[in-house]
Amino acid sequence: MSERKRRSRAGGRRKKIAAREQGTRKYRPYIERNIPYFEILNEEGLALIEKNADILLEEIGVEFRDFPKALDLFKNAGADIDGERVHFPPGFCRQIIQSNAPSEYTQHARNPANNVIIGGRRTVLVPAYGSPFVRDLDKGRRYATIEDFRNFVKLAYMSPNLHHSGGTICEPVDVPVNKRHFDMIYSHIKYSDKPFMGSVTHPERAEDTVSMAKLVFGETFLEENTVLTSLINANSPLTFDDTMLGAATVYAEHNQATMISPFILAGAMSPVTIAGTVTQILAEALAGMAYIQLVKPGAPVIFGTFASAVSMQSGAPTFGTPEPGHVMTIVGALARRLGVPFRSGGGLCASKVPDAQAAYESANTLQASALAGVNFMLHTAGWLEGGLSMGYEKFIMDADQAGMLAVMLQGVDLSENAQAMDAFREIGPGGHFLGAAHTQANFESAFYRSELADNNSFEQWEEEGSFDCAMRANLKWKEMLKEYEAPKLDPAIDEALLEFIAKRKSEFEDRDY
Amino acid sequence: MSDSNEEYEEDIILADLSDEELVEQMFDDLYDGLKEEIEEGTNILLSRGWSAEKVLNEALVAGMTIVGIDFRDGILFVPEVLMAANAMKGGMAILKPLLAETGAKPVGTMVIGTVKGDIHDIGKNLVGMMLEGAGFEVFDIGINSSVEDFFAAMEKHKPDVLGMSALLTTTMPYMKVVIDEMVNKGIRDDYIVLVGGAPLNEEFGEYVGADRYCRDSAEAAAVAVAMVTERRQSSA
Repeated sequence: MSERKRRSRAGGRRKKIAAREQGTRKYRPYIERNIPYFEILNEEGLALIEKNADILLEEIGVEFRDFPKALDLFKNAGADIDGERVHFPPGFCRQIIQSNAPSEYTQHARNPANNVIIGGRRTVLVPAYGSPFVRDLDKGRRYATIEDFRNFVKLAYMSPNLHHSGGTICEPVDVPVNKRHFDMIYSHIKYSDKPFMGSVTHPERAEDTVSMAKLVFGETFLEENTVLTSLINANSPLTFDDTMLGAATVYAEHNQATMISPFILAGAMSPVTIAGTVTQILAEALAGMAYIQLVKPGAPVIFGTFASAVSMQSGAPTFGTPEPGHVMTIVGALARRLGVPFRSGGGLCASKVPDAQAAYESANTLQASALAGVNFMLHTAGWLEGGLSMGYEKFIMDADQAGMLAVMLQGVDLSENAQAMDAFREIGPGGHFLGAAHTQANFESAFYRSELADNNSFEQWEEEGSFDCAMRANLKWKEMLKEYEAPKLDPAIDEALLEFIAKRKSEFEDRDY
Repeated sequence: MSDSNEEYEEDIILADLSDEELVEQMFDDLYDGLKEEIEEGTNILLSRGWSAEKVLNEALVAGMTIVGIDFRDGILFVPEVLMAANAMKGGMAILKPLLAETGAKPVGTMVIGTVKGDIHDIGKNLVGMMLEGAGFEVFDIGINSSVEDFFAAMEKHKPDVLGMSALLTTTMPYMKVVIDEMVNKGIRDDYIVLVGGAPLNEEFGEYVGADRYCRDSAEAAAVAVAMVTERRQSSA
């Protein structure tokens, strides 16, 4: 028997191929940031915006339309009510939020390994939301169906770079408006075990979402923990409507999270300046989040922002331009000063197809979002055409970018191993590091390795078909869907969900509103 | 992963394996870059009466062919290929004197260098490594090599292949200077000339009068093996 110490055998080709397919990166349910926040305003600038927002809230006020419950709650808390207009004393909303809202919260997934913490130095990456159309290279642009919806749930489930299943990833227009929420929520539960978002298009649909979540998580668990994070938009400028408020109220009452998001196409829905836009965003978000804290003190709220600049030439929304990037950066700082989680950003673009415009506009917003300190990054993957279209290839391209954001935010390792002094001592001047012991020990996880980018020689690329990025992404999503395996779901829960859906669907007629 | 590791952590006693199993195991060990194991396997095969040539071709070169394929396909990474080539070299060191004794030829021989004015050699080194992995004997004359340097090396080693490398657009035309001189001296056709480097392409390879432009180290190895084999067959 040999006394020599052997390197343990790795199993040759068979094991290597299996290991490479599995990838070397361990799945992490969210990103923990280890670099500073990028901020562009100093204390004086941020304080000015906060002062102006307070003036806006007091002098102009915010309308809560067709929703007397909000008016009553604000009145009892000491705000001044004029019709449906609420005027807030200076500091009123901030004080209510800061004394009640959590600075971070855990959103539970049905697989606890996928629970996400939202807030603090963490970033959770989430698919795009709300497109009526889908697009792929084979079939072009068409209305989304529930089949497309399921496909995107599966792709998000399989992507190690996305942490959340999202919400209305695309609008399944082949299902009646008043019943499609059942199929969407069921798809998130059945085909993924990452956390997901609830329906917000009617208070009743929010209730259905909560009921279905109870079947999965248990009634007591749900009342005590957050299992849903849902998107509540303000009707900018300075207006909230009964649909959104109704849904928000249902979620808050059950202790579920809402992100109060002024949706701003600057120039149309807010003034044309960055300073004016951020002032309005802060005022609207403060009013919405204060309402939630009055409904249920302590219910998680996220300060949301969606900002685009409108082309003054045509009126069309634009993306990936510098000004909305500045808006996002400033709002991130304002959210941290307020002490609540921040939602913004994503892979936003105006391009119709996954081309160069799509790639650079999306890269601009993705990186700006990461630097700005976004905690919940809705629209990370798939977004095309200002959100009108969900792209299969674009989804794959964005998910690759998402993986890079995670590495970027991790910051810089300064451990002894990372300092690599031994590598210098081993190689010295004029050699190369490819064979160094330090390289051998570290190469596999050393650099982000894109599964999508082609870095091969021109000749190899040509031999393999001269595929551009979108064509490679096309192959990738098809391969992923082919390999998809559903996560295990307790058959009793599955049955209960299907029974609930069948019963509820039979209780009322199909309607398209 | 942990269970699969256990399966392999047990020491495999190479001497207990049949010839066929041993060769299979050597493919794995080459793949995993285990130099000592390759040396041991080489010695065992020789002690069982295998000729050096047979060990070279059926165990080492065949094993490195798998490494080359998986490198090309993006499964193996550069540092892993270097480890595999290093393990191969361990086996070669044992076989070399035996091959010389019997007069058996290596798969091929090559003189390789970076051309005059250019000191970039990482790519050239990788090509040399891959060629050694393929069973070639490689004579590396280093960087900044002049016509005289290349000619002296060709005279001394009588290689099958001359390889020239350049990274700069300002140094790559020197390849033509070398080849033109070979034509002048009437020795151009005595050698297979391969050229490579980032700024080259196929057209440039033709322009300087090389036999082939090779886009990367894996291709260089494959092309060199194929062309030497073909030349030996046609002259046989």
